[in-house]
Amino acid sequence: MSTNAREIGRKDGSFEREPARRVFASELRECRYDFKEGTDEKSPTFVLLPTGERCNRVFIVGTLTEKQRQGDQNIFYRGRVVDPTGTFFIMAGSYQPEAMQQLAKIEAPAFVAVIGKPGLYRKDEASTPMVSVRVESINVVDKDTRDLWVLDTAARTLDRIDIFKTSTEPDVIKAKEVYPSIDPAVFRRAAYDALAQIKM
Amino acid sequence: MDFSETADRISRKFQKSGQTIDPKKIEGKLRRLIEEFGVQPSEAERSVTNDLAKEFNIPQMGSGGGGGKSGGATEPKKIADMSPEEWVTLEGKVVALSTPASPAIAQSGIIADDSGGIRFVAWAKSNAPAMTVDSWYHIESAVVDEFKGVASLKIHSGTTVKECVTDGALVPSTVPVVNLHPGVGSVRAKVIQEWDTTHERMLQSGILGDETGTIKFVIWKEAGKEKLVVGSVYNIFYAMVDEYNGKLSLNLNTATIMQDDGDILVSGGNVAVRGALVHIAPGSGIIKRCPVEGCNRALSRQNYCPVHEIQPKFIYDLRIKGWLDDGEKTHNILLQRDVVESLTGITLDAAKEIAENNPLGMDEVFLQMREKVLGRYVTCHGREIDNRLLVNTCERLTFESGEHAALLNRAGGAS
Ligand SMILES: [Zn+2]
Repeated sequence: MSTNAREIGRKDGSFEREPARRVFASELRECRYDFKEGTDEKSPTFVLLPTGERCNRVFIVGTLTEKQRQGDQNIFYRGRVVDPTGTFFIMAGSYQPEAMQQLAKIEAPAFVAVIGKPGLYRKDEASTPMVSVRVESINVVDKDTRDLWVLDTAARTLDRIDIFKTSTEPDVIKAKEVYPSIDPAVFRRAAYDALAQIKM
Repeated sequence: MDFSETADRISRKFQKSGQTIDPKKIEGKLRRLIEEFGVQPSEAERSVTNDLAKEFNIPQMGSGGGGGKSGGATEPKKIADMSPEEWVTLEGKVVALSTPASPAIAQSGIIADDSGGIRFVAWAKSNAPAMTVDSWYHIESAVVDEFKGVASLKIHSGTTVKECVTDGALVPSTVPVVNLHPGVGSVRAKVIQEWDTTHERMLQSGILGDETGTIKFVIWKEAGKEKLVVGSVYNIFYAMVDEYNGKLSLNLNTATIMQDDGDILVSGGNVAVRGALVHIAPGSGIIKRCPVEGCNRALSRQNYCPVHEIQPKFIYDLRIKGWLDDGEKTHNILLQRDVVESLTGITLDAAKEIAENNPLGMDEVFLQMREKVLGRYVTCHGREIDNRLLVNTCERLTFESGEHAALLNRAGGAS
């Protein structure tokens, strides 16, 4: 379905923006497979979620627990954003000065909303890739927004798990192939636990 | 007599079959038939086309050039039935004249019969009599041409034009907006939006819509042209339908426009999108608008209006442009002043105060508004046009414990 929407967008000559997917930390950190669609420089890069959806952008809301300024020549910031299931690693560099300034201003701990691009980073060829989110925008939000995000993300995750069972979409088939040992039931469990932690 | 146009048409036809023929060669053949042998231009075109088709062994070519199988080019043909590259005879009423685009053109405009309308061009070389709006003409041996999908009737030196008397008024019929195609079209539609005009010669541009869809419109400045009123319904007869980048637009300068008392429930009228505000675009916050009556364009930081230049007595306004994302699709949104005020809690007066007294000026308003709304969940109601949601109301989402319980149930259920 998502492939279709993009094709229609291109035919129109209009630019279809990649949506920001809702995914819990415990699922995003399992990503090991990324790919580019199209051959030109500007074609989008995706990570493939274990529940079978391609993901070029994410919207996450959680608690910024730590942030560090790093680098001498090229200053950049790293941070950790925690949701009820785990930790997202975020970063913002001087190539996106506005995002970096936004992150620099925020004092941890704080509830934050992050819009950004997930990517796989490897220390070296042999090591396991780590998933990190390059920040496009970050803003301090309230606890209500965090709770709404948990509802939203749980619903989206359950939707993906339902589709995963029966779908013959290429992305789902690919996910089964590249993540053979992952049972999506663990993400259902994670969604339940996340829901159980809020508004108690 | 000029044969280059006909020669080009024949040449293009062969081009489509992969055969390149020098138009000069074709022109020579036409000239010979018409000038030396007194053959009718339509017959000459058919004959030369057939000849060349035989010469290059292209079988299907022969039938296309003539004036039609049933009775030749002298029998009047309905405008709606005309197809490109055809010689036609018709009876129609000139419903609009437009300023010719080049000195080679004596007259241009729209001619209509009870089946529809078509654009026409009378070449200066045609020596056709000057036609007047609202008169009927019998036009014999004109050629239907097509450029970028728009059919146009060419009146050339081989065409005869005679005024004629036809009883009965021409009652044009309108079509649903979704059925418009490039050429000439009539619609009954409501003005749903007016845009900042981008060109000095432009009187008005915006969006028209009916129950089936929406379309961009433009009116160029011209004596006697008036702006349409947003929210009003009009019967618009014989507008020019153009296509750019696969999108249609209506040029109303040729159209006869009559206001209508009724109302229309325009399609896409009430869309609700629930999602997160994932981007607040530059140009959001407090802006300055041109104070010249009827202009209202957003001014640059230097108070410059693209049409009225420097305007120190600008008017302040609020707006937010951004992206609303539901996880599946990202919607462009535009919030106007009242919606911005209620969503951000910052009134125009408060924003003015900040803009004029804070060292960051207008940027400070942008930053404060972004801080209040970026990353928040909202539900927007509005009208979606051209991938942009024009928001009438925008409310913060609230936590529903019922939804929470249902999701817990769903996640905890058998997997
Ligand atoms: Zn102006």
